[in-house]
Amino acid sequence: MELVCLGLNHETAPVEVREQFAVAAEQQGAKAKELINLNAIAESVVVSTCNRTEIYIATEQADEGAEILHEHLACDHDAVEMQHIYQKVGNDARAHLFRLVSGLNSMVLGETEIFGQVKQAYGQALEAGATKGFLNKLFQKSFTVGKRIRTNTRIQMGQTSVGSVAVDLAEKIFGQLKGSHVMVIGAGEMSRQVAQSMLSRGAEKVTVTNRTHERAVELAEALGGGAVPFDNWEETLVSADVVVSSTGATEPVLKAAQIKEVRRKRKFRPLFLIDIAVPRDIEPAAGDIEEVYLYDIDKLQQLASEARASREEQLRICEEMIQEEL
Amino acid sequence: MDIFVMDKWTLLIATLLAAAAAVQGASYVRRGVRSPWTMAWILLSFIAQMVLLGMRGEMRGACPLGDTGEVLIFAAWALTICYLLEGSVYRLSLLGVFTSPLVAFLLGLALIPGMLDDDPVHIDHADAWGESHAALSVLAYGALGLAAVTGVMFLLLNQRLKDGELNNVLFKNLPPVRDLSRVVTRLLVLGFTILTLGLICGLVMEKSGDVTKHLVVAICQWVAYAVLLIVEWRRGMPPRRMALAAVILFVLSLSIFPLL
Repeated sequence: MELVCLGLNHETAPVEVREQFAVAAEQQGAKAKELINLNAIAESVVVSTCNRTEIYIATEQADEGAEILHEHLACDHDAVEMQHIYQKVGNDARAHLFRLVSGLNSMVLGETEIFGQVKQAYGQALEAGATKGFLNKLFQKSFTVGKRIRTNTRIQMGQTSVGSVAVDLAEKIFGQLKGSHVMVIGAGEMSRQVAQSMLSRGAEKVTVTNRTHERAVELAEALGGGAVPFDNWEETLVSADVVVSSTGATEPVLKAAQIKEVRRKRKFRPLFLIDIAVPRDIEPAAGDIEEVYLYDIDKLQQLASEARASREEQLRICEEMIQEEL
Repeated sequence: MDIFVMDKWTLLIATLLAAAAAVQGASYVRRGVRSPWTMAWILLSFIAQMVLLGMRGEMRGACPLGDTGEVLIFAAWALTICYLLEGSVYRLSLLGVFTSPLVAFLLGLALIPGMLDDDPVHIDHADAWGESHAALSVLAYGALGLAAVTGVMFLLLNQRLKDGELNNVLFKNLPPVRDLSRVVTRLLVLGFTILTLGLICGLVMEKSGDVTKHLVVAICQWVAYAVLLIVEWRRGMPPRRMALAAVILFVLSLSIFPLL
């Protein structure tokens, strides 16, 4: 039995082509079952995520199986769309699957969501009766490889975007963000994104303040929080756990003295300050206060790029492990 | 084998097991992964400590706190049991890696010739208050020692967060600062409560001149911990200062051992 993989991903096809090949999560088992009714295809698994659609088949003759699958796909897609399809056979296809499961083919290198998505796709194919010994063994092996790479390398270490770095830091300070109060100063897009990330990880309350109060109300509504007037936001500092600031002010909006004033009222609870404004909104001296953790945009960007570089370095080790497993 | 020789071997085994937990745990941390064996090594060391304390108790016919070596072993045992209990309640990662060197150090000190009496005096008449005082005080040391260990973990992580050094394995594996800070406070409260009970027993036990001297030092320690906890309770305290105080007070508390 030989292995063939046909597919397309974010590197080979734009979104308007990828969406033409996309298979809904709950349809992937049925699609795999449909494929094994074709001549020469003994087993199949269909993996479809927002960044890729890939079909893995087991066939007696790789060339014949690939051709039949190609023809089948061409029935529903035009020649221009079909140009984006790549084909991998044998060990190339096997290594490709191992890379996929390990997150090495992902847009965010080393991300782990793909592991669960492949597992789900395989589970559906198995349930639909589209897999037998060959692909069962291969996919089980790929999950072992994915786990091995995750455990023994630093491919997942650090966050690669400013928003994720901020959330990661917040979790390192507070643990679970459940019950946390996020205060947003300035109603910019970046603040909205960071606040949204915090909310998605369990933050409970959001308070927005902005020079133009209407915009603060607008953003607060979008985030499901409340708005306070810009000349009366200092009181919110008492209950805030995270402050995200991104105003267009030329002078610091939040000064160390303002935090020192509310320290006792806060019972010296940790305070995470995220300053994503240029010029900076938060006086650097605020970071000298013991329970305050201050990060500006440069620091956040530097951390994100360090993590990206670190993941790139780990690629070689991951590739060696994959070669060992082939 | 003679029980008087066996206890030394058991002490050596307990020390080596704690040292193995420390060395292997640290090497796993350096490789960027968590050791699955730390808890097992510490558990085995704990069993060896129990056997050892059982032997010494048998020899003395009383609670084995008759010489500095026994006090050190008892303190290591208290620290270990606090870790095993706290580890399972709070599930603080890396706590074992940070606790095991201190356990190995205390047991290692007890290995120094002269620390353990080769032929301990069998006690015919034991003062229950005196024994309770010693046992509770050493148990308190376990909790306060673990508060100090957690304090060290807090200080390390806090510094990394302050400096923005996040892409290292220690940062990745240490628990959040808020959790560490809460555990420091809880352990201080637990340790202080046990210390208070121990001190009450000490005040009503039969006293000799030496005992009075160490009771005075113990009262000074108690006052220091009391002030720390009252300040935290009444007005709050920056977590860093609390962690630092837990470490400094524990190190100073060790000064009572030469007075025993």
